[in-house]
Amino acid sequence: MARVVILGAGVAGHTAALHLRRWLGREHEVVVVSPNSKWNWIPSNIWVGVGRMTRSQVTFPLAPVYRRKGITFHQALATTLFPEGTADDPTPAVEIRSTAPDTAGETSRLTYDYLVNATGPRLNFAATPGLGPDGNSLSVCTDSHAEHTAGELKAVIAKLRAGEPQRLVIGTGHGTCTCEGAAFEYTFNVEHELRAAGVRDKAEVVYLSNEYELGDFGVGGLTFTERGFTTSSRTWTESLFRERDVKAIVRAHVQKVEPGVIHYEQLDGSEHELPFDFAMLLPPFRGADLTAYDRDGNDITSRMFAPNGFLKVDADYTARPYEEWSAKDWPSTYESAAYPNIFAPGIAFAPPHGISVPRKSPNGTVIAPAPPRTGMPAGITARAVASTIRDRITQGQQAPAHHASMAHMGAACVASAGTGFTQGTAAAMTMYPVVPDREAFPATGRDPRGTSGEIGLAGHWIKAILHYLFIYKAKARPLWFLIPE
Amino acid sequence: MDSTAESIAAAPLPTQRTLRMRRNVPFQLLRFAAINLRMAGVILRGHK
Ligand SMILES: Cc1cc2nc3c(=O)[nH]c(=O)nc-3n(C[C@H](O)[C@H](O)[C@H](O)COP(=O)(O)OP(=O)(O)OC[C@H]3O[C@@H](n4cnc5c(N)ncnc54)[C@H](O)[C@@H]3O)c2cc1C
Repeated sequence: MARVVILGAGVAGHTAALHLRRWLGREHEVVVVSPNSKWNWIPSNIWVGVGRMTRSQVTFPLAPVYRRKGITFHQALATTLFPEGTADDPTPAVEIRSTAPDTAGETSRLTYDYLVNATGPRLNFAATPGLGPDGNSLSVCTDSHAEHTAGELKAVIAKLRAGEPQRLVIGTGHGTCTCEGAAFEYTFNVEHELRAAGVRDKAEVVYLSNEYELGDFGVGGLTFTERGFTTSSRTWTESLFRERDVKAIVRAHVQKVEPGVIHYEQLDGSEHELPFDFAMLLPPFRGADLTAYDRDGNDITSRMFAPNGFLKVDADYTARPYEEWSAKDWPSTYESAAYPNIFAPGIAFAPPHGISVPRKSPNGTVIAPAPPRTGMPAGITARAVASTIRDRITQGQQAPAHHASMAHMGAACVASAGTGFTQGTAAAMTMYPVVPDREAFPATGRDPRGTSGEIGLAGHWIKAILHYLFIYKAKARPLWFLIPE
Repeated sequence: MDSTAESIAAAPLPTQRTLRMRRNVPFQLLRFAAINLRMAGVILRGHK
């Protein structure tokens, strides 16, 4: 009998748990540890943030699904790893602290044969003074943040209706943020709502980003072929900004957010102030900040984790200049470099480096997007990890690992630019591979046949269908496993 | 901000016809099929 403990019930952890439960016999135990009682389809938080969806439409309780499937669920936060066990018991274990209402704060230890760290990102609002819902700006990263933000947007619209001009700033709240796609989506959804409310003329919408240029999206931009021409995602994105009259400030690192004023520095070292009436700024991400001890009680956190709190896996972490970055540096098995029975799919693994060109201001401030790891790679890497664990449990330790490198993986991204069955639009993009491979595709690092972008209502329909499809899948309804990651 | 503003001002502006086609239901149904096929191709390559 083997026990697999999965930390995190987001895209990666939940995918791994459902597949493992489907594949492994009942003599093996699948355990999920996650602090929230509900599962959240994060991409649709954008629509909660403009008041077009409610929190209950983007979440559902996990416990009934896990009960039905035979997965053990602990509503708790993992805090400490003991990958070699302790002096008294050599069985690997993880310490968890309950977040369930009736047992909150109680700690316990779970032993494991395999551990999947799928703890995703920690929203690091603390990196920028005044950033976040506890400070002076808003967020759409969780369903509760998004609900609060929708209320603030409503208040802004009321002021606009009363004839008061308003400046709405949406973007990234630190020079090292990722997920620019989400900020882009929220910008255009807000713009769409302002138009629908008939108050667009009084509102100034500003996109504030750490990208070097529009259309970078943390993947160094894309090159598409359109009507016989190659065009860059920059031109394509700028065209949308022009059409919708959205202003943009790029190459920006937010230094602090004071009530009604954003202070930011740009790559050229200049410092600026931007007054605002409404500001939704994404935080930078960190790992879950787990600590780890060896059998003798020595702290081995820095051996297992990168300084940003993400787990070190089978990537090549040698520091190299941008010109020497290679697709081969990226991990493919997500197996911990220190312990082969620990894995980190999704956002929880430490990337070897960025994808966009790294840049610093003359003051030494890093202003460059961190590499995004969207839902599709999170699901695919989780499935690969689950396959490896299944094989090792059923065939023995020598079973080879399954591979899923982001350098051999495409991504389909649909960025909503406004919702509505006939009035919605979205930018539907595909790229292959996510991490450019300049050896395989010397011109741009990506295959022109797999890289595309298109704006229209069709993209919105796809985004809306994905919402229902992925919630259906996450609820493990009949034939859920036929829906790809 | 200024260089970005200039670049945005110089970006291609879609014509009214392009904007209409982006919301034209029959045309978008065709695009829906095409985008899905393209995405399926990318997804299948990723799942190999
Ligand atoms: C606003 C927004 C919009 C987005 N839109 C899109 C989109 O349109 N398309 C797309 O592909 N991607 C999108 N993304 C990215 C997508 O949400 C992520 O790629 C995906 O959620 C990553 O999956 P994950 O499992 O690694 O992390 P998560 O889904 O964040 O899951 C992490 C899980 O770990 C849990 N956890 C955290 N700490 C601990 C701990 N110590 N112990 C136990 N559990 C812990 C969390 O509670 C959570 O359940 C968006 C992200 C944001 C913020």
